[in-house]
Amino acid sequence: MRWHKRLLAAGAVAAVTLTAAACAGGKVRGAEDSPQSGSSAAPAGGAADSTFVYVPNLDVVTDWDPASSYSNEIIAMQNIYESLTRYNPQTKKTEPRLASSWTSSSDGKKWTFTLREGAKFHTGKPVDAAAAKAAIERTMKEGQGAAYIWSAVDKIEAKDPATLEFTLKYPAPLDLISSAGYASYIYDTTAASGDLKKWFNEGHDAGSGPYTIESWQKGKETELTLKAFDDYWGGWDGQHYKKVAFRVAPELTTAWQLLQRGEVSFVQRLNAQLFAQAGSTDTVQTSQTPSFQNLLVLLNTADGPLKDVKLRQAMQKAIDYDGLVAALKGAGVAASGLVPEGLLGAAAGQTPKQDLAGAEALLKEAGYGPGGKRLELTLTYAQGDADQELLVTLLSSALDKLNVKLAAKPLQWTTQWDQGKAKDPSKRQDIFVMYWFPDYADAYSWFVNVFRSEKDPQFNLSYLKDEVIDKEIDELPALTATDQAGAEKAYADLQNKIINEQAAVAVPYVQNYQRAYSKTVQGYVDNPAYPNVVFVYDLKPGA
Amino acid sequence: MTAPALPAFRRTPLRRLAGVDRLAVAGAVLLALIVLAALLAPWIAPYPEDGGSATHPLEALLPPSGAHWFGTDQVGRDVLSRVLFGARTSLLIAVAVLAVSGVAGVLLGVVAGYAGGWVRDVIMRVTDIFLAFPALLLSLALAVVLQPSVTTVIVAIAVTWWPWYARLTASVAASVSTRGFVDSARCLGVPAPLIVLRHVLPNSLTPVLVQLSLDGGGVILTAAALSYLGLGAHEPTPEWGLMVQQGQSLFTTDWWVVTFPGLAILLTAFAFNVLGEGLRARLSR
Repeated sequence: MRWHKRLLAAGAVAAVTLTAAACAGGKVRGAEDSPQSGSSAAPAGGAADSTFVYVPNLDVVTDWDPASSYSNEIIAMQNIYESLTRYNPQTKKTEPRLASSWTSSSDGKKWTFTLREGAKFHTGKPVDAAAAKAAIERTMKEGQGAAYIWSAVDKIEAKDPATLEFTLKYPAPLDLISSAGYASYIYDTTAASGDLKKWFNEGHDAGSGPYTIESWQKGKETELTLKAFDDYWGGWDGQHYKKVAFRVAPELTTAWQLLQRGEVSFVQRLNAQLFAQAGSTDTVQTSQTPSFQNLLVLLNTADGPLKDVKLRQAMQKAIDYDGLVAALKGAGVAASGLVPEGLLGAAAGQTPKQDLAGAEALLKEAGYGPGGKRLELTLTYAQGDADQELLVTLLSSALDKLNVKLAAKPLQWTTQWDQGKAKDPSKRQDIFVMYWFPDYADAYSWFVNVFRSEKDPQFNLSYLKDEVIDKEIDELPALTATDQAGAEKAYADLQNKIINEQAAVAVPYVQNYQRAYSKTVQGYVDNPAYPNVVFVYDLKPGA
Repeated sequence: MTAPALPAFRRTPLRRLAGVDRLAVAGAVLLALIVLAALLAPWIAPYPEDGGSATHPLEALLPPSGAHWFGTDQVGRDVLSRVLFGARTSLLIAVAVLAVSGVAGVLLGVVAGYAGGWVRDVIMRVTDIFLAFPALLLSLALAVVLQPSVTTVIVAIAVTWWPWYARLTASVAASVSTRGFVDSARCLGVPAPLIVLRHVLPNSLTPVLVQLSLDGGGVILTAAALSYLGLGAHEPTPEWGLMVQQGQSLFTTDWWVVTFPGLAILLTAFAFNVLGEGLRARLSR
């Protein structure tokens, strides 16, 4: 009797659904009833034991080569390798790291860095100007990942062991560029006798940072452990964590349970609901910091119905900005223009508001809107991204009231991007939703990559083509290097042109980093210029 | 496995009712309730505007309470209202798919079964080709090519669904065509189309009807799967699969967003299945 089996199966599904629902509604389970995973990660509590356990939700290492590394491993790399400078988002300025000081010529084309004395690579060699030159030159030659950041560099000279001089093709803020999160590492290019890239990817490092690789086991739960590098130039006096472990927990709830039990020190990411729970837990502290990553809603300026600037402005007005930020429950903060706060070029007071009446009026002028023709638009966004989904839900609901049908497709990034880059403009979408963040702490990236005209679009997915805007964008690096006030003005003017006049983009929000970490961790400050990085050396293990 | 259904038709309505399987009644009642809920959604939903384009982000993710029996979703819409309105979408899809694929499949099948020979061969080979594809894969491919919408879902599923009815009807029609009363009709000079419509078709329908009611649940599940993959209904259309998809990441903290539409899918698929099984048990007796 087949139906008995079917009934049984249906009943089982129902039972599972109900049980799962029942336990999910209550408190997260405690330590007692959850089986141990048998991992080797040591508990993080207490000053006597000084391992800092970081919980990411994705695998840590995809590429160990400091020249081409351009992914999640930044959370480890920034503790192993150092760059010449480091960006401070509070002062909006760069600070000494391997370079103790630097100067630039008045035209911004010659930069001289003085290197710190006594810094050593983990291989034992001293960090001198010749080594730094070799590292940057290798990174440039490999030309992978974020290596393009050095594209302004014409020539590097090691004047003496402590002096590194850069000659640039055009003026650029090289102190900012040297503080980049990727491709800016100084490393020992002579570390291996054979193929250096291969040597790196076997799990070796040649950095000068406070920690060095102890063990790396790809695919293991505790994927990576780092140990203190005894000869670190900063020294090990005072209280520091002597070890760093990276323990991968793809499930946010698992990560949260580990933290609650005191097994780990730091959780990279929770959802808004778990984050709220973390905020009211005694043994845990939380921090919420605006990132440099914002959401861009790119409107097709070249083709389809949105070619009409009035319709693009109507789209901008239809977005429920306040509602979106409310629904994000702390995962995002209202954006003011294209440039997030904390970067040169950020303009306050530009936060947009939803204006449905205004949108309706603009639609009517173009012959659409309630009572007019029905407007049909296509939108693509990232599959599985709950935050983008909120935007899509709110926008399509608002547009539905205005007689606009939004066909929104969630796609994998490569598919979404390929469609955006399609040679045939009629195959492209009307609205493209994506995140953007800079590779170094500079707003230039938003403009040169996203809004400068391109023959074959890469990231200019609003397909904006405007010579005046192009010219102004090209002047940005020189202005940033030589005339900061002028740069501020240029950024403000560009944002006005791109957002208000051309209506090429709407910026609904800037992402917030929501971290939860143990009460025993002291001195943690989130630095959005280095996404998800914890500079463990700067922390104090507390009681 | 399906015996001729003729004896069943000779019974009086009363006797037939008395003999009806309890299971079929349970399925029918449950399904009737769901249909009723769908029809009356605008009047019985506590927040009818939430079934449309209203959003209330400030009331997002409220747990079930007196004001919102099933809680609210990510943008503050009443989940109960959306589940009720979602019944309309799901039932519409189920009815449309079954109607389109049922009519197409039965017509082709009965022609194939009665005509035999090369007509039968051509039709059956075409159905074989369709049946060679995994149904969901073919639907997926179609849904990707077409713009995501409820219509797309209906088309995509119907295209993969009709061959089953064609094949089932063809086999029954072939055996019916050899029966005495069909021969008699032929000898009397009744034209072929009339024989097919008057004699073969009515007597080949029973197993298809059972299969159709059994498949209602399958269609709803497939539609939910397509929406779940982002290829079906899109916002703000209330659709159960879409609701489950959007709520899944919240399962551990805000379980109600995904659970209630999930239960609605379960209940409806269950009702169709029970009705179908009941009918089959009854008609094959």
